[in-house]
Amino acid sequence: MIPLLGLLAGIVLGIVLEPSIPQILQPYLPIAIVAAMDALFGAFRAYLEGTFTDRVFVVSFISNVLIAAVIVYVGDQIGVGSQLATAVVVVLGIRIFTNAAAIRRALFHA
Amino acid sequence: MPEDLGPEELGPDEVRLGGQRGGSSLRRPRRHARSPHAASRHVTSLRRSQQRLIGEEHPTTVAADEVSPTPTAPNSSDDDVDATRSTRGRLRASLLHPGRGQILAAIILFIVGAAGVMQFRINATDETYASARREDLIQLLDGLSTESRRLEGEIAQLEETRSDLRSGADTQRVARTEAERQLAELSILAGTAPAEGRGIRMRIADPNSAVDSRVLLDAVEEMRDAGAEVIEVNNTIRVVASTWFGSDARGLVIDDKPVSRPITLEVIGEPHDLEEAARFRGGIVSEITGPKIGGQVQLEQVDRVVIESLHASRENQYARPAAPPPTPR
Repeated sequence: MIPLLGLLAGIVLGIVLEPSIPQILQPYLPIAIVAAMDALFGAFRAYLEGTFTDRVFVVSFISNVLIAAVIVYVGDQIGVGSQLATAVVVVLGIRIFTNAAAIRRALFHA
Repeated sequence: MPEDLGPEELGPDEVRLGGQRGGSSLRRPRRHARSPHAASRHVTSLRRSQQRLIGEEHPTTVAADEVSPTPTAPNSSDDDVDATRSTRGRLRASLLHPGRGQILAAIILFIVGAAGVMQFRINATDETYASARREDLIQLLDGLSTESRRLEGEIAQLEETRSDLRSGADTQRVARTEAERQLAELSILAGTAPAEGRGIRMRIADPNSAVDSRVLLDAVEEMRDAGAEVIEVNNTIRVVASTWFGSDARGLVIDDKPVSRPITLEVIGEPHDLEEAARFRGGIVSEITGPKIGGQVQLEQVDRVVIESLHASRENQYARPAAPPPTPR
């Protein structure tokens, strides 16, 4: 419940206040969001499976986001930014689907 | 991982979470009283560690399962149902008793939500051309460059017009200053403007009233010969191009104005030249001081002669400006 409220508050705040991030960070925001989604799905799966710990969640969230952003940043520097971004998105997408499948199994047993 | 915890462990867990209404830690000792077999104790310890793992620190919930009416019922159901129920029960419990993990999750979801909205907005801003086909884009670009070329041409034209107008204004300004200068010069010449400058003042005492218009005309001619620019008689009569000298019943008359004696001539010009012109032998001074007239002449050079009397210019009755003759080649 509280996480949902947090999500709603974040969305509302984002719509109302219209925060903007620095131009330099803008290319990495989408990747960071995908990484965050991966962390969130993983956390939800762990939670449903009863292995959720907040410490692991926070650390994995931050590290996922940072690593994803850093990978894309490095890719940008060496000229394969879009390819690496695609790679990160593919890998994270696979993970998200895996986690989603686990969540589905845990919730509906199907 | 659900596999880590067997259905046996999850079963009682569901019971605990599902029946957590009321209950207090005071009832905790009853748990041991009600768990005679070792397996049940094992389950309890496992449950505690699980509790620690998921960060739920509610001793009351632990005690709650003791008061639940069907503590062992889920154990009898099959594994699948058990697992499903356990997850749903955990969800329900988390709704009722949020823990630290939930708050952290809330914070992180907050960040993700804000970032997602931000990204949506960034994407939405330049989505206009994202889905356009290449041909459309080329056409757009073409149109834009044509438009910008047209506007550049317009800018150049307007700038040219502006510089034209500016230089035109300059020309006009120069012409106006020139005209003003000429006007000042001509109005001094025509006697319609006051004038001042270096010059001489000549005072002619004429006890015999022998100075007539001819003598005065001579004097004016001499002064003009010496480069006089402005001449004034008696501080009232400005001598201009149309000035005439005569005499009638009132005596000496200039421009139809009687001239009282002594006569004062004020002349603007080079003082030395003017004085020389007046004093040379046989000149105006010697004529006036001669036996024929018997007058006296006082002559002084003045650094600043101010002539304020004006000549009332009349409109020409007959003369009209005519077209200038063709320039001779």
